[in-house]
Amino acid sequence: MAEMQNENPTILNAADLPTRLRPTATPKGEYAGIFTSVPLPADFLESAPTSDSEDDNLLEEPIDEQEIYDLISSISDPEHPISLGELAVVSLPDISIKPTLPDVPGSPLQTVTVLITPTITHCSLATVIGLGVRVRLEQSLPSRFRMNVRIKEGTHSTGDEVNKQLADKERVAAALENGALMGVIAKMMETCH
Amino acid sequence: MSALQTFMLVVDHDKEEAKRIAEGIAQDIENKKTKLIDTVQSLGEYINDEDPILRGKAVSYLTAVIQALSPKYLSRQQIQVLTTFFCDRIEDGGAVAGLEALQGLDRFNRLLASQVAQALFSNFQDLQSRSQSQRFQVYQLLNELMSTHREAMRNMGDISLLGVVDIMTGEKDPRNLMVVFSILKVVMVEWDISNHVETLFDSVYNYFPITFRPPPNDPYGITAQDLKGRLQDCISSTRYFAPHAIPALLDKLDSTSPNVKKDALNTLIACINSYDPDTVSKYSITIWETLKFEILNAQEEFLSETSLEALKAITQRLSEGVTEVSQELPLALYLKAITKECNEQLQEPQNKQAKPFQQILSCVSSASAVSFILIVQTVVAPIFTIYQEADGIVKQRALLETLNILFEAATDVFGQWTTRGGEIAVENPLLEFKDQFSEIFGQALMGAAKEEVSFRVTALKGFLRLSILRDFFQENEIGLFVQYLDEILLKEESVGRNDLKKEAIAALAEVSKHKPRLIMDITFPAFVATLPEEDEGLDALYLPTLETLAQISVERDIFETLFRRLFSKLTILLQKEQPGSVAYPRAILMTLLYVMQQRNMGQDQSVDLYFDKIVVGLCRDVAASSSGKAKNRILTDPTVLDTLGRLCNLLVRSVSIEKQEQVAENVYSLFTTNEDFAPVPFAQTTSADQERTLIISTYLLAGLSMDCTNRIPQASDMSALLSELVSRSISSTEPATHQAYLRHLALLVNKFLSKQDLPIAEKLFDSLIESSGAEPQTLSPATIRTIFWLSKALVLRLAPTTTHVLTSLLALISSPDQQTSTTAAQGFAILLGEDDIISPTNGATIRLLCRQRLFTTVIPLISSRIREVNIAGTDDSATATKAQDHIKPAHLTALAGILSTIPTALVMPELPTLLPLLLQSLDLQTADSIAVRTATLDTLAVIIRDNGVVVIDQCGHVSSLVTRLLKTTATNVGPGAVNSPRLRADALRCLNLLATHQTSAGADATTRAPPSISPLLPVKNQVLRSLRAVLDDPKRDVRKAAVDARGAWLRGVDDAPEEDD
Repeated sequence: MAEMQNENPTILNAADLPTRLRPTATPKGEYAGIFTSVPLPADFLESAPTSDSEDDNLLEEPIDEQEIYDLISSISDPEHPISLGELAVVSLPDISIKPTLPDVPGSPLQTVTVLITPTITHCSLATVIGLGVRVRLEQSLPSRFRMNVRIKEGTHSTGDEVNKQLADKERVAAALENGALMGVIAKMMETCH
Repeated sequence: MSALQTFMLVVDHDKEEAKRIAEGIAQDIENKKTKLIDTVQSLGEYINDEDPILRGKAVSYLTAVIQALSPKYLSRQQIQVLTTFFCDRIEDGGAVAGLEALQGLDRFNRLLASQVAQALFSNFQDLQSRSQSQRFQVYQLLNELMSTHREAMRNMGDISLLGVVDIMTGEKDPRNLMVVFSILKVVMVEWDISNHVETLFDSVYNYFPITFRPPPNDPYGITAQDLKGRLQDCISSTRYFAPHAIPALLDKLDSTSPNVKKDALNTLIACINSYDPDTVSKYSITIWETLKFEILNAQEEFLSETSLEALKAITQRLSEGVTEVSQELPLALYLKAITKECNEQLQEPQNKQAKPFQQILSCVSSASAVSFILIVQTVVAPIFTIYQEADGIVKQRALLETLNILFEAATDVFGQWTTRGGEIAVENPLLEFKDQFSEIFGQALMGAAKEEVSFRVTALKGFLRLSILRDFFQENEIGLFVQYLDEILLKEESVGRNDLKKEAIAALAEVSKHKPRLIMDITFPAFVATLPEEDEGLDALYLPTLETLAQISVERDIFETLFRRLFSKLTILLQKEQPGSVAYPRAILMTLLYVMQQRNMGQDQSVDLYFDKIVVGLCRDVAASSSGKAKNRILTDPTVLDTLGRLCNLLVRSVSIEKQEQVAENVYSLFTTNEDFAPVPFAQTTSADQERTLIISTYLLAGLSMDCTNRIPQASDMSALLSELVSRSISSTEPATHQAYLRHLALLVNKFLSKQDLPIAEKLFDSLIESSGAEPQTLSPATIRTIFWLSKALVLRLAPTTTHVLTSLLALISSPDQQTSTTAAQGFAILLGEDDIISPTNGATIRLLCRQRLFTTVIPLISSRIREVNIAGTDDSATATKAQDHIKPAHLTALAGILSTIPTALVMPELPTLLPLLLQSLDLQTADSIAVRTATLDTLAVIIRDNGVVVIDQCGHVSSLVTRLLKTTATNVGPGAVNSPRLRADALRCLNLLATHQTSAGADATTRAPPSISPLLPVKNQVLRSLRAVLDDPKRDVRKAAVDARGAWLRGVDDAPEEDD
C-alpha cells in the first residue's frame, strides 16, 4: 500500500453521529420495556390487526437530508477502515436537497448537493471519495434526483480542479470504466448498510 | 527345512506365520530344547551373503526370536553379545528393531546404550537416503534410548549432541519430524549445549515457518498445528537460544503472509513465557519497538491481538518476584519506553492512533499489580493536565475513556467487591487520585450539557467501575453515585435514544450486586415515593419508575423489599372506592412478575410467603370481587386477571407438592367456602364477572403437576367437566372468557386426561364436527375455535386419532359457507402455535414428532385440493366456480398458518410440492390476504437464508419467484390490490437474500461446485430496472430495503462466473 497521507485523523464517536430518531412504537413512550413482555389477552382469532394501519400507510415520508446522510456516511475511507461519517468527511449540515427547477412548481426533479470535507487539504484521494459518494447516490436514489458532489470551499488546496473533475459527466463516466478505480470504490462501499 | 529357512520364505507375505515360527523357537529356547547360540549360529550361511535382502531377512529372524523371548530370559552376557552382534550388523534390516527390543530389557546397561548410540551415529551418516520407514525406526530407537537411558546419552556429551543433529539434518517427513523434534528438545534442555548453541538452534529453526499441509484423508493424522507445537517447544526450550531466536522471529514479522506472522508471534510468546526474566528483559524493548508497528498498522485483527498478548506476557514475566516498586527495575525501564509513547499519543486522544495505544495501556497495566502501579504513576497525572486544558468535549471524552481503561485494568488486578480471595498486599495506586476522580467524573456526569449523551455515558461507566472496584470508594462515595443515578432517572427528561437512562438503570443493577444496602436505603425510598396512590391521568409516569425498580431488584434482599412495598401499594389500591385506571395495578403485578421470572423462585426461601399473599390471598379477593363484595372492580378486569394469573402460575410451579395439592383442591373454588362463592363449572347461574374467574383457574391448573389430577374435585367425572366447558365455550360472548374456556379445555385434555380416558375427548370432537349438519357445513366461529383448541390438545400429544382429526379439520375449509371456511383456515395457526398455558414450562404433553406428523399429513392434502380447485376453475362455467372462490385463498391461509409454526428443516424435503403453493400465495392481491402473504414471505426468507438460491433453482422457479417478489414491491398495483409497506419491505428482503445467498450456507468451501453462471443472471436486469422505481417508494423503510437489495444485486450477481478466492 502506498504511504498514507494522513496517518492520524481525528475520529468522531459513532454514538455522536446524527441519526434519525424513530417515533416510538407505543404512545406510552419507550418505557414499554418490560411491560410488553406480557401480552394483553389478545382479541384473539379476530386476525390480529397488523401494526400498519391505513393512516400509517398513506403517510408519505419524503427523502430528506438525513436519509442522504445515512446512505453515504457508512462508506469507508479508502485510506482507513473508518467510515466517512466518523471522519467527518461528510456531515449532515453539508447536505441539501432543492428542487432542480424552482420555476416549475410541479416538477418532481430534485438536486442533492453534498459537500465533502477532506481530512487534510492536500488529500489526493478527495476525487476518489467524491466519486464513491456519487456512485453510491446514483445507485440508491430514484432517477428524478440530480447529484451534485463537491469539495467544500476552502478545505482543499486544489478544490476547484477536483470539483471540475467531479462535475464533468464524461470524465466521471470514463473513471467508472476504469477497473482498478471501480475496485477501490467497491471496497469503500462494502461497509454500506 | 530349518525354522530359519521357513521364516525367510514366509516373512515377506505372511507376517503372522513368520511371527509364529519365531515364537516357536523362542519357546524351545526357554524350554531348553535348543540353545540361543545355535539359533545365532544357524544364521551363519546367510549372514555374509552378498544379497542385502537375504542378510536382512536373516537378521530379522534373530530379532523376531528375541522379541518373542520373555523379558527376563536373556542374561547380561547374552545381551552384551547380541548387542555387539546387532551393532556390527546395524545396517542390515531388522538389526535396529533387535536393538530396540534389547535396550528395553532390565539387564541392558548404560555402557551398552552408548555403544548402540555410537553405532547409530557412525553408521547412519547417509540416513536421509534411506526409506521413510527405515529412518523412522532409527529415530524410534534413539527416542527409546533417550527415555530409558538418558543418563548414558547425556554422558556422551557433544558426541550424542552432534550425532543427533547430524543424523536428522535434512529430514522432511512430518511423522519423523514429530519424533526428531521431541528428541532434540531433550538435548536442548538437559545437555550442556554451550559450545553448540547455534548448530542446535539452526537444526530446528530451519523448519520455521512450518508450511506443511496434510494430504486429504491423511492416515497418520498429523496436523500442521502438531508440528508447529513441537517446533515451538524446541525454539522456546532454552534461554541460550534467545540471541538467535528473538531477532530471527522479529525478522519474520516482515513477511507478507499473515500466517507466518502469526506463527512467529505465537513462538515469540512461547519464548517469553519460557526463557528466564533476565533474558526476556534484555530483549523487551526491542520486542516492544517491533510489535508497536504491528499493533498500529494491524493488517489483521488477530495479529494486533497476539502482539498485545506478547507485550502482556513480557510484563508478567518481568513482574515475577518483584516486591518493591522502583524505577530501576527492568520492568520499569520496559514500561517507561511504552508509557513515553502512550503519553505522547494521548495528547490528542480523539485521534485514530490513540485507540491502539489505549489497547496497549490496557494490556500492560492489567498484567500485574507492579506494572499497574508503575503505569498509573506515569500516565494518570498527565491525563489530568490535558483534561484541564482540553478545548473540546470530544477530547475530554476520549481522556475519560482512557481512564476507564485503567479502571478496568484495576478491576482485573484488585478485584471487585464481590470477588472472593486474591487480595493484593500493595495499595491501589489510584487511591491517591480518588478525590480528583470523584470530582471529574461527577462533574462530567452531572454538570455537562444534557445533550452530551455519549460524554455523560462515558463518565457514568467510569464512575461505575470505580464504585465496584474492591476497597476503593467509601460507602458514602458510592452512595453519592447512586444518588446521581437516581436523579438522572427520576428528574431528567429523556434525550435522544435515552442511552443515558438505560446505562443508569444497568449501573444501579450492577451496584445492587455489590452494595445492596445502598440501593435499598437510597434508591428505594426515592423511587417508591414517586409512585402515585392511584393512576390519575394520562401520562403513566409510574411506568419508568416501576421498570427501573424491576431491573434493580433481582438480588434476593432487594426483591423482598420490592415485594413488600409494591404489595402494600396494591393492597391500598384494592381498598379504594375510586382506584383510577386498572393499568396501574396491572403494571404493579407485571413488575412483580418480571422480577420473579428473572429469579429462580424455586430456590427462594420466601416463596411460601409470596404464595400465601398472592395465590391464596389475591385469589380469595378475586372470588369476592366476582360476587360484587369488593370495594372496586380492579379484580374483575380481564387484563388484571390475566397478569395475576401468570404470577400465580409461576408461584404454583415453584412450591412444594403439598402446596400444589392444596391448590388442586381449590382450582375452581379459589380458596373460598361454598357459601361465599360458587365455582364456575356446573354452577346454576353465573354472571360475566364470575365466569371471568376461570382465567385465574386456568393459570392455577396449568402450573400444577400432573399427579394432582385426582385432587381436583370437579375432575372426578372428566366427561361431564369437559362437556360443561365445551358448552360454556360455545355460548360465551366475551373474548377473554372465551379464551379462558378454550385453553382450560385444551389443558385438561392435553395434560390431565389419562390415556384410557382419551376416547371421551375424541367423542367430544366428533360430536362438535357433526353438529354442523350435513350440507352445507356451517359452524359458528366460537364452535370452530373450540374444535381447533380441542384438536390442538389432541395433536400435541399425538392421540391415536390425530389423522382423523386433521382430515376433519381440512374438510371444514372446503365448506361452501365462506365464514366457516375462512375461520377454519385461520384456525390452523392455533394447532402448533406457541401458547403460554399449553407450554413445555407448564409440563404440557408435547410429543417430539407432532410437528412432523401434522406437516406430512396436511401438506399433500392441501396441495391436491388446490390443484383440484385450479383445474375446476379452468373448465367449469363461471357461475359454478363463483361459489368456490373463497376455497383456494382459505387453503393458502391454512398453509401459511402451519408454516409459521414449523421449523424450516421440516419444510425442506417437501419444497418441490410447497414452492408452487407459496408462489400462488404471492399471487393473492387483496387486503385480506396481507397476513397470508406476510407469512409466505417470512417462510421464503428462511428457506433462502438457510439453503441458498440453489434449492429454488432445482425446482426451476427462480424466474417466477423473482417476478412475483417484484410485483409485491410495487405501490400501485391496480384496483382492489394492496401491498402494505411491510409486505413491500419483506419482498425486498427476500430479493436481497437471493443475491447474498447464492451458494448454500451449509456447503463447505472445499466441496464447492465448480464456478458456474449464477441462476440469477437472466433476471438481473429486470430486477435492477424494477428496483430503480422502488427507490422512490413513499415509505423510508421500504426505500432502505430497496437500496440494500439493489446494492446486493449490483455487487453480488456477477456477469462473469464467480472466481474462486
